Amino acid sequence: MGSSSKKKKEKQKDFKKATLKVGKAKGKPENFTDTSFKSKAIVLNQQSLTIHAPTSTTQFTHHISLLSSKSDSQRRDALGHLATSISARPVHSPLPQPVSVILPTLLPLILDANTGVRTHLLKLFRVLPAADIRDHVPQLLPYIRAGMTHLAADIRVSAVETLSWLVAVAGSAVVSCAGGWIKTLNCFLSVLGWHTEESAKWSANRASFGKSGSKGAPMMKVVTVLAEFLAAGVGAPREDLETGDSIDPFPLGPTRVHMVPDTAAPYAYLNLFGQPRDEEGEMYETWEDRYRVFAHRFLPALQRGLENARQEGGEMGRASSGASKVLKEAVAYGQGIV
Amino acid sequence: MVKRKLGALEKVEADLPNLQHKIRRDPKSYIEDFRAQHYQYESHREIFMAAPTSATDTGIISLRELIDFIAHVADCYPDITKDFPQQLMDILTQHHLVLEPELREKIVGSLVLARKKELLDSATLLQTLFPILITTPSKTLRALIFQKILMDLRTSNSKTTNHKLNRTMQTVLYNLVTSDRVSSKGLWAIKLIRELWKRQIWSDAKTVEVMKEASLSENEKVIIGGVRFFLGGDQEREEMEDESSDEEAIDMGKVKHQIGINKKTRKKARAVEKARATIKRKERKKNQPHPLNFSALHLLHDPQGFAESLFSKHLQNSKSKLNLEQRLQVLQLVTRLVGLHKLHIMQLYSYFQKYLTPRQPSVTSFLASLAQASHDLVPPDVLEPLIQKIANEFVSEASASLVATAGLNAIREICARQPLVMNETLLQDLVMYRKSKDKGVVMAARGLLSLYRDLNPEMLKRRDRGKEASIGLRSGEKKEKRFGEEAAGGIEGLELLEQWKDEERKRKRVEKGLPSDAEDDEDDDDDGEADWDAWNVEDDEDSDDSGGWIDVQSDAEIDLSDSDEEKDSRPSKKAKPDDNNEENAKPETAQNNSETQKQNIATTRILTPADLAKLQELRTQAAVDALVPGAKGRRGQTNASRHKDDPLTAEEIEGLAALSAGKATREERIAHAKEGKTERSEHKSITAKRKERKVEQGKSTTNKEKARRKNIFMTLGKARSKGKRSLVETRNILKAHQERQKRGGRRGNVG
Repeated sequence: MGSSSKKKKEKQKDFKKATLKVGKAKGKPENFTDTSFKSKAIVLNQQSLTIHAPTSTTQFTHHISLLSSKSDSQRRDALGHLATSISARPVHSPLPQPVSVILPTLLPLILDANTGVRTHLLKLFRVLPAADIRDHVPQLLPYIRAGMTHLAADIRVSAVETLSWLVAVAGSAVVSCAGGWIKTLNCFLSVLGWHTEESAKWSANRASFGKSGSKGAPMMKVVTVLAEFLAAGVGAPREDLETGDSIDPFPLGPTRVHMVPDTAAPYAYLNLFGQPRDEEGEMYETWEDRYRVFAHRFLPALQRGLENARQEGGEMGRASSGASKVLKEAVAYGQGIV
Repeated sequence: MVKRKLGALEKVEADLPNLQHKIRRDPKSYIEDFRAQHYQYESHREIFMAAPTSATDTGIISLRELIDFIAHVADCYPDITKDFPQQLMDILTQHHLVLEPELREKIVGSLVLARKKELLDSATLLQTLFPILITTPSKTLRALIFQKILMDLRTSNSKTTNHKLNRTMQTVLYNLVTSDRVSSKGLWAIKLIRELWKRQIWSDAKTVEVMKEASLSENEKVIIGGVRFFLGGDQEREEMEDESSDEEAIDMGKVKHQIGINKKTRKKARAVEKARATIKRKERKKNQPHPLNFSALHLLHDPQGFAESLFSKHLQNSKSKLNLEQRLQVLQLVTRLVGLHKLHIMQLYSYFQKYLTPRQPSVTSFLASLAQASHDLVPPDVLEPLIQKIANEFVSEASASLVATAGLNAIREICARQPLVMNETLLQDLVMYRKSKDKGVVMAARGLLSLYRDLNPEMLKRRDRGKEASIGLRSGEKKEKRFGEEAAGGIEGLELLEQWKDEERKRKRVEKGLPSDAEDDEDDDDDGEADWDAWNVEDDEDSDDSGGWIDVQSDAEIDLSDSDEEKDSRPSKKAKPDDNNEENAKPETAQNNSETQKQNIATTRILTPADLAKLQELRTQAAVDALVPGAKGRRGQTNASRHKDDPLTAEEIEGLAALSAGKATREERIAHAKEGKTERSEHKSITAKRKERKVEQGKSTTNKEKARRKNIFMTLGKARSKGKRSLVETRNILKAHQERQKRGGRRGNVG
């Protein structure tokens, strides 16, 4: 009897339900295997112990990679670091990374939602060497245009500031690159709301959408930048041609015209590899081309808008008078063209 | 890719959905904002197109949102967005391989949206989407595009058939199938067509032509897709139709009642509106004429050529890559075509020769196909060796009962279609198997026996012929049908109508107190009058409205009725009866067999629409009766219930063998026993059924029921106090109860 009762009990055990108790750990399952072990030392495989501090180039690259970070402050600090390291480098020494490498990561930040990031970005732009920027204008412009038409007013303003810097640095490249003239002017009109006669009137009941920071100051800034842009595009023509002519002696006079241009993409206007362009995306390389299309499409709207702005008076009126001066010059020069 | 969440700080104050909402309300005021967003979209598109592969996360997100936004409000500013659909199509066609999946889906969705807003026509949309459907390696995109294409075709065919679009699309599909016969791309054509066929959007010969080309292609998948379409496409279509017709029957009365009781909200009012619209739509659908839907097999242009090329390409060809199952399907299609259209493919029968052994895998399918392939125009000497072989290989004492059953059934099916293949000795030999021990074999042999009793009793031994056949033989009614002999056609079920009319007449005479058998002309005329008056069955209101007018007419008619010209005198409704008359003019030989019977109804009178309606009713009644097993239903004769178009399956060849001892599980036997019996829910008392119905209809409960269901704890207190009552109280309560009973309850009997 003894052994059989013991066996019975053992058998019974299999069918007993383990009771769960509050606050106690859950019982181990039946097929549990103990995998714990004991060891005298723990060796970590990967441990980075460098004695040397990272070089400035590595740091620079690291900060470039931080630009796409998700945290605002990290992006802003990275931008700050890049700006200082560029400005602090010895004069005439090359950049730690070429502009063509830095720029693709910088460009999306033009549309960044954070104000700090955008101001730092502009600071960084300002320390970049102007000559290098000139070749990358076609890449820059779509972002700037996207910023100018952004829903958020702050981004619009900072995009306009960026454009102002770009015009100052590479004015002729901006207005003559593909889509740089018409599309950008369209964006200006859209920012200012001068597209149609109705919407340009100050009394127009224009339901403005989106929060637009402080109303007066941004508009004034936009008008100022518009003046700069117009000056680069259709103001004060033929200066460089005349200076160019005067340098070469008689028999070599027109040679420069026949030489391969020394710009980065001399045959860009042929558009061998890109998408087919329409009228808006076309390149307008000469002053005459630009003026013709400008007079045809934008002149009336701009004159009307500027006139209204002048009548508004104050700072706005002053800003607009600068722009109208450029406009008048252009009209005077372009009398014979259209 | 996980969708990137925008942080709270990243969000700008004004978002696109908000603007979209405002634009919807007042497009004119927000044109500047829209223009800005359109420029923004342009810039983003430019950025994206410059480097589609290396676009950043945020860039893609904003492009996607902008596309969505513009697509939703594009119809408000058609002049600004006129290039928008084209741009989307460009992006999709050029970069669909590298596009981020969500953006890709958004573009497809926006294109469809633009189609809905009529900014884009269907043909362009389909021409953009279809090439992508065929080429893209992404499964999700394919599924999405397939669904969108299908939806677009459905919507553009919903009101009226869009012939132009259908034609272009069918041409595209035809070219897809025929251009590259080796590739499996034709599958998309098959899938699309099958779906459209099922929904009866495409049901024309051109569609069938595409499928025909598909089944003649080189790729196995495409071949089988095409063949399956012919074998099962029509059945699928019928099922779909049944499904759609019996979906959600709305009880309008109930809906109205509920809205009267329940709380009135705008949502519920909308639901009522919806229900009303659905009912209206259904009514309209019901009144519409039934669409003519020919089966795909009937729409084939050249069935002989098709069957021949199928046979030589996939079956006879030793290089064909199809496996046995696939070849069987092709064989099924070929034989169905042969049987249905009575084609002649002589090699087909010798092809069967080597497959007719019991060891051949799925031999029953081969047998079924052979039976399908035989029709009464096949020369008997072609089929005879096959019958002989089946008899030798399958039907013997030594072979298993299953095998013998299959063999006998196959022989019966072949003979049912071409009775001349059988010779006397073989038949008498086979009929002997009805003395076998196995039930399946017995049934099969009996089937054969009863078949020949019907078709050619002379071939049977005298004692096997049975009473009916012997009488028929003596009277000369049962004769062997010669090769190629055709019975003259008649109207299906006309004898039923005749019988019914006869009974009606007798019943009326009994009512009048006349002897039911005697007939006189006057009575016939009366009947005729009654019939003419019941010319129309459907539009009762119409005849009510013009009741007075008809009275005037009938007066005039009575004068004319003597001159036996009443048919001609009937004005204005002659077109239909004339047609009928011509159709019915052929005498029905089947009816003429007994001389005592009077002349066929179709030759003596014009069938009115009321007659035709009754005929239809009787036909369906007869069909239902045939299905219900019992006194009349003869289950052995499978031919009677089967339609000419229906295929013969391997199961029918196997026959009752499945029932043979021990072969079927209990469930199968139960299922078989239940077959044909009408559906019946579990047994219940009438009260229980009533109660159930009440609950189903959502009616409320009585006080009694409420009291019965009451929680016991709520009733305990009362029960306790009941025990504590004093005698006086008890007496009062009892008295009151008695009083109430007399009165007839609390409410009383008198209202």
